[in-house]
Amino acid sequence: MLDAIRRRDLLKHTACGFGYLALAGLAAERAAAEAPPDPLWPRSPHFPAKAKRVIFLFMQGGVSQVDSFDYKPRLFRDDGKDMPFDDARVIANTGARGSEQRVMRPLWEFSRHGECGHWGSSLFPELNRHMDELCFIHSLHTEGVAHGPATLFLHCGATSAVRPSLGAWIQYGLGTENRDLPGFVTIGPSAGNGGARNYGNAFLPAVYQGTPLGKAGAPASEATIRNLSNPRLSEADQRRQLDLLLALNAEQSGPSSDPELDAVISSFELAWRMQMNAPDALDLSGESAETLALYGIGEEPTDNFGRQCLLARRLSERGVRFIQVTYGDSTANPAWDQHSNMPKHADHARRVDRPIAGLLADLRRRGLLEDTLIWWGSEFGRTPYAQQKGTGRDHNPDGFTVWLAGAGVKPGFSFGATDEFGHKAEQDKVHMHDLHATILHLLGLDHERLTYRHSGRDFRLTDVHGRVVEGILA
Amino acid sequence: MGIRSTLGLAGILASVLSGPVPARAREEAADLEFFEARIRPVLVEHCYRCHSDEAEADGRLKGGLKLDSREGLRIGGDSGPAVVPGEVDESVLIEALRYEFLMMPPEGKLPDPVIADFEEWVARGAPDPREGATAPSPRAGIDLEAGREHWAYQPPREWPAPEVSDADWPITEIDRFILHRLEAEGLRPVPDADRVTLIRRLSFDLTGLPPTPEEIDAFVRDESPTAYEDLVDRLLCSPHFGERWGRHWLDVARFAESLTLRGFVLKEAWRYRDFVIDAFNEDMPFDQFLREQIAGDLMPGGSLEDRRRRRIATAFLVLGNTNLEEQDKEQLRMDVVDEQIEVIGKAILGQTISCARCHDHKFDPIPTADYYALAGILRNAKAMNHANVSKWIEVPLPMDPAREAAVAEHEKAVAALEARVKEARARAGGAKGVLAVAEAPGIVVDDEQAARVGDWTRSTSSGTYIGSGYLHDGNTAKGAKSLTFQPEIPEAGVYDVWLAYAPGSSRAANVPVTILSAEGESTLEVDLRPTPPIEGRYVALGRFRFEANGQGYVQLSNEGTRGHVTADAVLFLPEGKGDRPEVVGDRTGDDVEALEEELKRLRESGPKRDLAISVVEEETIEDARIHIRGSVHLLGEEVPRGFLRVATVGEPPTMPEGESGRRELADWLASEENPLTARVFVNRVWHWLFGSGIVRTVDNLGTTGASPTHPELLDTIAVRFVEQGWSVKRLVRELVRSRTYRLSSAEDPASRAIDPENLLRWRMDRRRLDAECIRDAMLVASGRLRRDLGGPTFPPELDADYGYDRESDRRSVYEPVFRNALPDLFEAFDFADPSMVVGRRDESTVAPQALFLMNHPFVMDRARETARLLLVEKADDEEDRIDRASRLVLGRPASDAERRIALEFLGESPEDLESSWALLVQAMFASIDFRYIE
Repeated sequence: MLDAIRRRDLLKHTACGFGYLALAGLAAERAAAEAPPDPLWPRSPHFPAKAKRVIFLFMQGGVSQVDSFDYKPRLFRDDGKDMPFDDARVIANTGARGSEQRVMRPLWEFSRHGECGHWGSSLFPELNRHMDELCFIHSLHTEGVAHGPATLFLHCGATSAVRPSLGAWIQYGLGTENRDLPGFVTIGPSAGNGGARNYGNAFLPAVYQGTPLGKAGAPASEATIRNLSNPRLSEADQRRQLDLLLALNAEQSGPSSDPELDAVISSFELAWRMQMNAPDALDLSGESAETLALYGIGEEPTDNFGRQCLLARRLSERGVRFIQVTYGDSTANPAWDQHSNMPKHADHARRVDRPIAGLLADLRRRGLLEDTLIWWGSEFGRTPYAQQKGTGRDHNPDGFTVWLAGAGVKPGFSFGATDEFGHKAEQDKVHMHDLHATILHLLGLDHERLTYRHSGRDFRLTDVHGRVVEGILA
Repeated sequence: MGIRSTLGLAGILASVLSGPVPARAREEAADLEFFEARIRPVLVEHCYRCHSDEAEADGRLKGGLKLDSREGLRIGGDSGPAVVPGEVDESVLIEALRYEFLMMPPEGKLPDPVIADFEEWVARGAPDPREGATAPSPRAGIDLEAGREHWAYQPPREWPAPEVSDADWPITEIDRFILHRLEAEGLRPVPDADRVTLIRRLSFDLTGLPPTPEEIDAFVRDESPTAYEDLVDRLLCSPHFGERWGRHWLDVARFAESLTLRGFVLKEAWRYRDFVIDAFNEDMPFDQFLREQIAGDLMPGGSLEDRRRRRIATAFLVLGNTNLEEQDKEQLRMDVVDEQIEVIGKAILGQTISCARCHDHKFDPIPTADYYALAGILRNAKAMNHANVSKWIEVPLPMDPAREAAVAEHEKAVAALEARVKEARARAGGAKGVLAVAEAPGIVVDDEQAARVGDWTRSTSSGTYIGSGYLHDGNTAKGAKSLTFQPEIPEAGVYDVWLAYAPGSSRAANVPVTILSAEGESTLEVDLRPTPPIEGRYVALGRFRFEANGQGYVQLSNEGTRGHVTADAVLFLPEGKGDRPEVVGDRTGDDVEALEEELKRLRESGPKRDLAISVVEEETIEDARIHIRGSVHLLGEEVPRGFLRVATVGEPPTMPEGESGRRELADWLASEENPLTARVFVNRVWHWLFGSGIVRTVDNLGTTGASPTHPELLDTIAVRFVEQGWSVKRLVRELVRSRTYRLSSAEDPASRAIDPENLLRWRMDRRRLDAECIRDAMLVASGRLRRDLGGPTFPPELDADYGYDRESDRRSVYEPVFRNALPDLFEAFDFADPSMVVGRRDESTVAPQALFLMNHPFVMDRARETARLLLVEKADDEEDRIDRASRLVLGRPASDAERRIALEFLGESPEDLESSWALLVQAMFASIDFRYIE
């Protein structure tokens, strides 16, 4: 009997997957005749992809670009001087431009690194060693002066309206490569600043939402997928119970082959496979001591983020499409948000620097960097002047730095520039919409064609904006 | 483009070269040459991609602006003409290039010499030879008359029930509409459902709860000819009807009890939930139900109950998942309005009006002007008090005279005690209430001047403070908030540093205070509980040396603190100068502490004023201006307040001068002449009962929505609904009385071949139990369900929803709808996204649902409790017990095969009896017949 079910299952899977993309939007607006084809079945991209998957290292709160990778000698020269700046917060609050601000020099010294000779500060010494691997965009700008709006914009392309997240769009566009695992995993997500909306599906079908693995503030060593294992039953008991259930279901679904009931039946088989296989993906005990050390696992202060990064590698090996790794917390002033105490950046850097460098090295040596795109960045940057002439920096959505690495981007390269203070993007500006378009492009998706019909119109991640940043493509 | 520009250049050259040229013409030629050399190439390279015919053809045209023809530039786009010849500073194009406005091109500001070229060109009169180019396609405008042709904008009318061949089959008129179409397509309805199936279907559909085995038996045995109708009436009268149907409306109203942002909890939202449940239970006419939600606060007269209820109803306007942190408050105000229009449009009118926020609706006859006509009304209703983090509005509810008197008396008692506390404080510390900043000694940095990190709240409730109040941290986000007081020190020297704070027993005892002076940094801990020793206001932090206008500051943090952190001001007193208040020593009078404690108790114990989430009318009532491309900073012409013209019959009403216009809006929405409202709602009701609407796109009856499968039926039901006083219960009764509703879910290959989607209703679709029914049915089976109605369902002191841990046996409709913390079960089983209008829930079948049913303690606990109940009941044998389990969980006796399978399982089980039964019941919870309604 089970074999019969499995056969039916198999037949169903092979019969679908084609034309799903076109159908999905319609299916939501106009109920499809039969149960829709498996929405997670892998689908072909619009054109050949450079990257098969993305790992997004989210530095929550806003890393200071001028203290890390956007070297501006003028800040050293003019340190302490009061000058007029167009401060994003002041403009949003009052409309006034040119408010007086006190220039504040970077707290870390800069030097050139790698063959490319890109400037990097002593804030990220380990990352500096990988300079020839990184592709910088120095001219990013975005929407939202406060964390909430900007974080939502970073993930969903909208500051306020409820929109699907990038990972959900990617799953919708490409499906998943591994049915034993979710296709979109977010490791240690923050509950703050949009929380689950940052990995939500909004109006896309629910199957595309991100699966949280642990949460910000809880130890990564305890991170797991919800309900993945049974807290009380032995495996033997569970298997017996599953067989009982499958028998009941087969009996209740009768001789007819209603695809919807078939889907219910197969969901239990899939759940069982996940339960059997996913824990292995999350189990670091088989990793060598050398690998653990590479990520800084077993040492402080790198253990926690090291685990998150190593989990990301293990998931990327197993075909998960979009993996977000969050360094942050659930407060209103998350992690990198140094309004009054800039030196604290160093504490955060020490926790992430080695794990990220380890991840890059590990992916490289395993050949995974070939088809994995790494994206490192925050929801915005920080001002090159001190907040209220104090000892920290405020939010800066007008110009900041992210880097990409791996599949499809130029290594050891920098693109775009801010003004001489590192304040506003000026040359080859890249809007967050453009970055989204570019990431989709690298995955083989045309951001203008990846649409979903909802509420009477076609929605896109990039709304009516976005241009692929051709200049960084390898 | 290349060809055209070559031709253009050739043309100019020709004109330049042909014969003697008058001066004026020479000038022209020079102008054009300038254009060709300096302007056109830049336009081609940087602008045409988004502003040209070609861009329009590719659907890339931005801002409705074309720069590839002279006319295009002069007519301009959404922001008006791109150039005003001769007027450099009035030309939007120049502003954009200078990055003063719109900032074009987006990839980066062009070099200054290029911008200078453009300025010169405009100054010369913007000479432009490009005549050959097509002018921008004139804005088509919206033809409202043509738009009215769409079926949903036509007034619905009653149709006679059509003739059918099989005259015996129909029970109600609905059936004749259905059968007529079936017969026309050569289809036959499947056989009726049996009574066991019917009672389970009806019970879940009308009350969201399963029938008990006893109820099933009674119904099956009932020989009365009106047995079915009696059952329907019994269920319609159940208070659980309102819980089930109220929840449907809550899906549509995007009801939630917290905001995603910072997990802010909407403590009073439950009142709106109860208003909705009560309205369905009392069968409030649906038009009234709508009116009260839009403008209940403005409706005159009525009893105390009426006035309370109407006020509560308006929470409908405020429940959106608002981003209170948006720094541009005019933007936030319009975002709120936009969300309201979105919700009203979809929920009530089935229209996607928000599309018209930025431009005329692309598909439906909804011009931008109509959007701003509606926006004008809603913009006059204040929904937020704006601050760094804005806050929704709560207003006091009217109360009956007895309670009003009790509250007033209590407030009087509180005030009296407050006065005593103040007095005692003054006695203890000598403080005398409010002190102006100028009256305080030394260099005063008031809390208003402090650099704040995190969310600090201003308060005046202690009665003793400097300036306009003091700040407190709300006892939240420990470690994430600080205040930095930075003095302007005129003269280097040694200063005494005093901190003013508002003391009290609820304050933190170990507040880290850091002083950065010329001597370096030092940190000490301050206890904010006792009355400050100096004048009852200040505590001395020490004596420090400061440089003139140096970097010095005093910083308070709430890191590691328990209790409220307060701060009023920091004073820097130059050594040996000026008058100083006496240090009166530690005179923390016990009586102050005791009185404060008493005050706290009194505040908590007494009757409180009821509050409700609502809106208030703005002081200035005004029309809105069109926001060009939706931008709050790009205002176009003013639009008189009004409604969707395409759905307005007759003359639109004039809007009152002194009121928002919400009452008129409510009347228009709930008017029997509105062609959309009744149709949209009866279609929803059909959807909730049949699993899909007559129009499948239940939130969209516009031109992009689906067409009705039975337009005459939909119209007829809509007209009757209005005629019968907008009674929801009558409507529901009418639909479930139909034979169409009573069909079985039997398969019929012949019908399936013709109508695979069951659009014509040849059978009843199999439907799944939604999240609430799954949870409630498990609670019922295990004997745990508490059936009490209404009221608040989470502790009042909860201030953020993060990680909210629930433990309740009440019905699912009372589970707090926290946007950051939905119950696992809700998330797994497609609960409505509480930030959006959800007329039709997602229906997913995914592994996480299976994992939930296999592994979640909630399911296992309910299964074990159910097993325990079964094992204490009397049963003839195991088979009998299996049957009983099946009736309890699945609402029907077990089949022979199921009995065999279960017996086999129990027989092989190595566990104790209860554990084996728990496993069996859990498998039944996970089985198809539990999760689906036939």
